[in-house]
Amino acid sequence: MEKNIDAKIVELIKNDENISNSKISRILGIPKDEVERRIRSFSDTRQKILIVDDEMATLLPLKRSLEAEDYIVIEACDGYEAIKKSKTEMPELIILDLMLPGMDGIEVCGQLRKNALTEKIPIIMLTARDEINNKVKGLEIGADDYVTKPFNLNELKARIKSVLRRSKNV
Amino acid sequence: MRIRSEQIIFFLIISVLPLSAVVYVSYDYSKEAIRDSVMTNLLVATENTGRAIDDWMAARKDDVLIISTIAENTEKEKLQGYLFTFENEHKGVYEEFFLLNPDGNITFSTLDRTGNAAKERYFAEALKGKLYISDVSLSGITGLPEIIITNPVKRNDTITGILGARVSMENLYTVIESIDIGKLGEVFIVNNKGELIFHENRSKILLENINNNFAVKEVTYEKRGVGEYTNYKGEDVLGSYYWLPLYRWGLVVEMNKDEAYADVLALGRLTTGISFLAIFCVILLAFVMSKRLTKPIESLKDGAHSLVRGHFKAISVSSNNEIGELTEIFNQTAKELLDIRKKLETKIETANKDLEEKNRELIIANEELKKLDSLKSDFISLVSHELKTPLSAIRTSAEFLESEEVKESNVEKEMLENIILSVDRLTRLINDILDFSKIEAGKMEYHFERANFHEIATVALENIRPLALKKNITISVDIPKNLSPVLGDREKLIIVLNNLLGNALKFTQNEGRILLSAKDDQDSIMIRVKDTGMGIEKNKLVKIFDKFYQVDSTSRRKIGGSGLGLSISSGIIKAHGSEIYVESEPGEGSTFFFGLKKFG
Repeated sequence: MEKNIDAKIVELIKNDENISNSKISRILGIPKDEVERRIRSFSDTRQKILIVDDEMATLLPLKRSLEAEDYIVIEACDGYEAIKKSKTEMPELIILDLMLPGMDGIEVCGQLRKNALTEKIPIIMLTARDEINNKVKGLEIGADDYVTKPFNLNELKARIKSVLRRSKNV
Repeated sequence: MRIRSEQIIFFLIISVLPLSAVVYVSYDYSKEAIRDSVMTNLLVATENTGRAIDDWMAARKDDVLIISTIAENTEKEKLQGYLFTFENEHKGVYEEFFLLNPDGNITFSTLDRTGNAAKERYFAEALKGKLYISDVSLSGITGLPEIIITNPVKRNDTITGILGARVSMENLYTVIESIDIGKLGEVFIVNNKGELIFHENRSKILLENINNNFAVKEVTYEKRGVGEYTNYKGEDVLGSYYWLPLYRWGLVVEMNKDEAYADVLALGRLTTGISFLAIFCVILLAFVMSKRLTKPIESLKDGAHSLVRGHFKAISVSSNNEIGELTEIFNQTAKELLDIRKKLETKIETANKDLEEKNRELIIANEELKKLDSLKSDFISLVSHELKTPLSAIRTSAEFLESEEVKESNVEKEMLENIILSVDRLTRLINDILDFSKIEAGKMEYHFERANFHEIATVALENIRPLALKKNITISVDIPKNLSPVLGDREKLIIVLNNLLGNALKFTQNEGRILLSAKDDQDSIMIRVKDTGMGIEKNKLVKIFDKFYQVDSTSRRKIGGSGLGLSISSGIIKAHGSEIYVESEPGEGSTFFFGLKKFG
């Protein structure tokens, strides 16, 4: 659906290079600012990171920090939203908090790995639970790395970079 | 040995043995007496018979002597006529009278016999001038036993002839038959050689020698007497014998011993019968006596057995003797023992029940401890997460501020606000934990005073309203203006209201409603916090006041609770002498309510 909208926008622009955003908005029946956002994202070469955390206090500084590093940051505050956004936004990386309301991080990880669309997206687990068995469980189920709270921001950024590099090489 | 057997033997010894001795002695004595009397009777009868025979024979002798005298002076024809007449008069006694001349020729015979008897002994003996009685012989005429008596007929001392009489023995039978000799007895006469010359049984062969018979031997020795012996026929007999010297005859009377001593036998049988009857009676008596004695003892024994087995019934007291007393004492003792046993059993049962109860309690307590332990682990892990989350936020924000070149001032402000929020949250959490540990340790300090619930509610509502606004939740308040003041700790009650309202807010969706109400109720005021939230399932209702329990361990974080709120509130209200209650229906919302004592 989302993909279709993107494809339709691309088709409309191909047909008429000078078509206005408001016209596209009218033709496809979607808000004008969304059309703008989508068109901007076509040309955007920045890497997209999905942060999944229900704690705004944790999420906010991380988001700002990664934005400053020139990543596109999208956010989800529970498991269901995380899975949905992974499929529609196709992020390059997911930072996943283990403790989530409803569906916990390990389950979210498992579901992402089962789906063909999302199975290759690298995941960094983020949690306050630093017990060794949780780490092992997370890695077993397909997480690429693991960072425990409270984390060092620079360390996390370094890990993000290395995980993204590895995934590109693959 | 059993008492019964002992008793029977004892009675037999003390009664039957002396009884038997007495019976035997008296029997023996009586037997002797009877035997003596029987013997005497027999002897007397024999003597009488002997005498009767003597008399009879003497009469015959006298007859012959008288006729001889008559013959001396009587004419021949007259004498012959007399002899016929005499013979006729004594029919059956005399077979024949005859006269012999000195040469031995028969001059006259009543049987008209002729001949010479010079060679006969009766002739020779009579010729000597004396009366002669012959031995018994069988008559040449009749074939029956007979004797011949001869006597000389003298004239001037010269023997002119001899008178003879042939005497039949038939008449002796009548004499002898008068003796009672029983059915098997015998009476007979022997001559001095021991030859049978007369027998009451006429078929007996005469002149048979039977001197092997004790009585016959004795009598041939010319003795008289009585004795027991085996006779010539081999029978045990009692016999008496009598010597008739005149004719050298022995009279023997024999009685069958059994017949003679029939009385003795009868006495013996009677005695034996009485003895056996006595023994039987004694045994029966001993049996009855011992039964009377042993029956209560048996009952006691059975009673003791059943007492051991634990199902005792009182033994009936059958007598008032020592055994009866013993039975009564036994019954009494058994009853007491059973009572004690019952009491002990009851005690043991009670003790067992107590033990079981305690055991159950221990198991339950153990289960609860296990549950609590697991809850505690969860709690610790949650708390560590709760502590780390704001810490992490603070650190990340600070790091961001420190390292990045912040382009926009509003981002900087945002970071600082984030730090302040996290610090507040951390503070709240630490306060909760401290309050909780104080309540748990019983070290929470309360300042009870007159408190106006209006003021308390106002403070709490101020805290909660901004949060409610964010969720677009309406908070209604229904507190009468004239509400009575309460006795309580203002600060602690604010905490309670904060917690309850916070929970209500937490579990109520956007655009829901929360109602805080209070009203007078007798000596207390009743406070209610009602929400239109998700409600609580029945099985979770009882657990929500448990320490560390959380209905949903992840939902609480949107509002940043510690999960200790209800525990703390419950502890505070308990310290106020009341309790928090909850009513809830899933999907319909929940109502928490509690009473507070009025002041004064």
